[in-house]
Amino acid sequence: MRLLTVVLLGLCACAADVAVRREGQTFRISGSATGADIALYVGAGDVPPVFGSLRTDGADVLFQPRFEVPKSMACRVVVGGRVFPFPAEQTAPLARTTRVEQVYPTTSEIPANQLKFYVKFSTPMRPGEAWQHLRLLDAQGHPVDLAFLEIDQELWDRDGQRLTVLFDPGRIKRGVLPLSENGPALVAGQRYTLVADAEWRDERGVPLAAEFRKSFTVVAEDRTAIDPAQWKLTLPKAGTREPLAIHFGEPLDAALVLRLITLPAVAGQPVLGPEEREWRYVPKEPWKPVRYQIAIDRALEDLAGNKVGRLFDVDTFERITTKPSREAAFLSFRIE
Amino acid sequence: MLKKWIAAVTLTAVSAFAAPGTGLVTKKLELGSAGPLAFGPAGILFVGDSANASLIAIDTGDRAANPGAGNIELKGLNQKMAAALGTTPDQITVQDLAINPVSRNIYFSVSRGTTPLILKLDVAGKLTELNLDSISHSRVSLPDAPADVKDARGNNKRMETITDLGFAEGRVFVAGLSNEEFSSSLRSFPYPFVAATKASSIEIYHGAHGRFETNAPVRTFTTYMVANKPHLLAAYTCTPLVTIPLSELTAGNKVKGKTIAELGNRNRPLDMIVYTKDGKDYILMANSSRGVMKLPAAKLETYQAITAPTEKQGVPYETLTELKGVQQLDRYDAKSAVMLMLDGGSLDLRTVALP
Repeated sequence: MRLLTVVLLGLCACAADVAVRREGQTFRISGSATGADIALYVGAGDVPPVFGSLRTDGADVLFQPRFEVPKSMACRVVVGGRVFPFPAEQTAPLARTTRVEQVYPTTSEIPANQLKFYVKFSTPMRPGEAWQHLRLLDAQGHPVDLAFLEIDQELWDRDGQRLTVLFDPGRIKRGVLPLSENGPALVAGQRYTLVADAEWRDERGVPLAAEFRKSFTVVAEDRTAIDPAQWKLTLPKAGTREPLAIHFGEPLDAALVLRLITLPAVAGQPVLGPEEREWRYVPKEPWKPVRYQIAIDRALEDLAGNKVGRLFDVDTFERITTKPSREAAFLSFRIE
Repeated sequence: MLKKWIAAVTLTAVSAFAAPGTGLVTKKLELGSAGPLAFGPAGILFVGDSANASLIAIDTGDRAANPGAGNIELKGLNQKMAAALGTTPDQITVQDLAINPVSRNIYFSVSRGTTPLILKLDVAGKLTELNLDSISHSRVSLPDAPADVKDARGNNKRMETITDLGFAEGRVFVAGLSNEEFSSSLRSFPYPFVAATKASSIEIYHGAHGRFETNAPVRTFTTYMVANKPHLLAAYTCTPLVTIPLSELTAGNKVKGKTIAELGNRNRPLDMIVYTKDGKDYILMANSSRGVMKLPAAKLETYQAITAPTEKQGVPYETLTELKGVQQLDRYDAKSAVMLMLDGGSLDLRTVALP
């Protein structure tokens, strides 16, 4: 047997000269028999080879992985059964710089039928792990079980920087089983803390710089639809660029206030007032002494998901007869 | 061998041509995200791309039957995917799986970190990536695409996340949930996609619970014949099972589903299939905390709509407690389903005889 091995090696002298060199993300295989199988592996056990492509470069063959194989991972190139290991390299860990910038609503008093939170991060995050890192704790520090609608397809914005966290609607809606059996997720008079733990990873795979906590007190349920007729306006003077302000009398949904309240005739910038209780508008040009009209899309919501003229859960008296109006509501005013 | 590789590389030259009548064009497919999957007409894979607010039909070209395909028992699918993608399992998220009913090859929508991909596991157990550099596909936009709904600052944060897809009666049904206003939608798109057609948007009210209605999010759905008419069988996030006639799902219509089963509290539906065994139809539903449920699907029309919240009303169900950690399921063949199960940190794929 030994003799046979020697003879075979003699016949394939070229195989002994095989060398593999890593050039950044490319693996250069020199001296390989052209027919040899070439594959790159990472990970242990029965794993398939890394996806990638082969091309020739002079007498060499180059393997280019489909995706970057980090140098912090050990890998091995196998050429015709011979293993060329590339041990993991020590790399400096990336700095933990990503933070939770804000959680909306910013108010510290939240209705018992609160519908959602927005968690805004300083940089894009990695989807798919929110439910491992986000918790709601009661006053004793115990997690509130199944408080949120934990769907796999997490509700991120396009940039991956803002996560929408819905409370389980089954524990808000009246007359459904989860509410009658589990009770509400939030109880009026109690204090809670929303926690985003520091192990939540950003787009780079780097954990947050710090844990984030937001504590709040739960107040009575809000079962009142939004009524723009009850809003108060602070009107600027003509010829100035003072802000126009609408005071809602309650906090409204931060994202929807900025998107669904518009003053199309005036170029300018809307901003949220403290605790999302106000919409302020600063025009680019001074106000003119004319009549203006603000449009309010009826999809605007308060913290409990009540819309303009329509409650989150409607008492239907068994039949649904009307389709909710999609038309805007309007607020008219004159600048003097 | 080497010549073959070189040939394969040079063949990826860019070309774009359209297949007449199908809307399919062969060119590079840019995925913003890869979410729910469903197979439609032979070889056509539908992919929900929430980031681009669109639904994509990919012609996989995978139309050959594999009659010899046997059972699957694959442990550590996430480790294998990670190894093939040159990374660690914690970087891999499997969003959905769909089985090609013709070939029985399994397709997965996967994120590697934040990069969306479609992977294919063939009946021989070989894992490959669906090459999107030049692939026959067509795309249709969801109405109210984010580009149309910038806020007054020109910001573009609204997204509608596609939570499930299904194909029936020549239409693709798409369930979506907004990340801003609390609205869920069910839309239907005729396939082949018609460029100028606006999708039908249907509002479904989950109003059978006493006297309160809300615009309820559909979590997962499938289609099924009820009283000889095609119906959508939809499971809501708060787990009632609802039937809706497909004929009512037309543009702008407001539909009230009929609640036929309450599946208990502390429960979130994940995935659902319908199958036949010994001449009888059943529904199999994977849930987050209640394991897998089996419900008889015969004569669903005979159940009274549930109007009061009571445990175990309506269609009776049994819980198959031995099936733990089921994340996804799909029909494999007449006698078995494929289940993706989480066991510790290992995502395992296996065929399970239909109960």
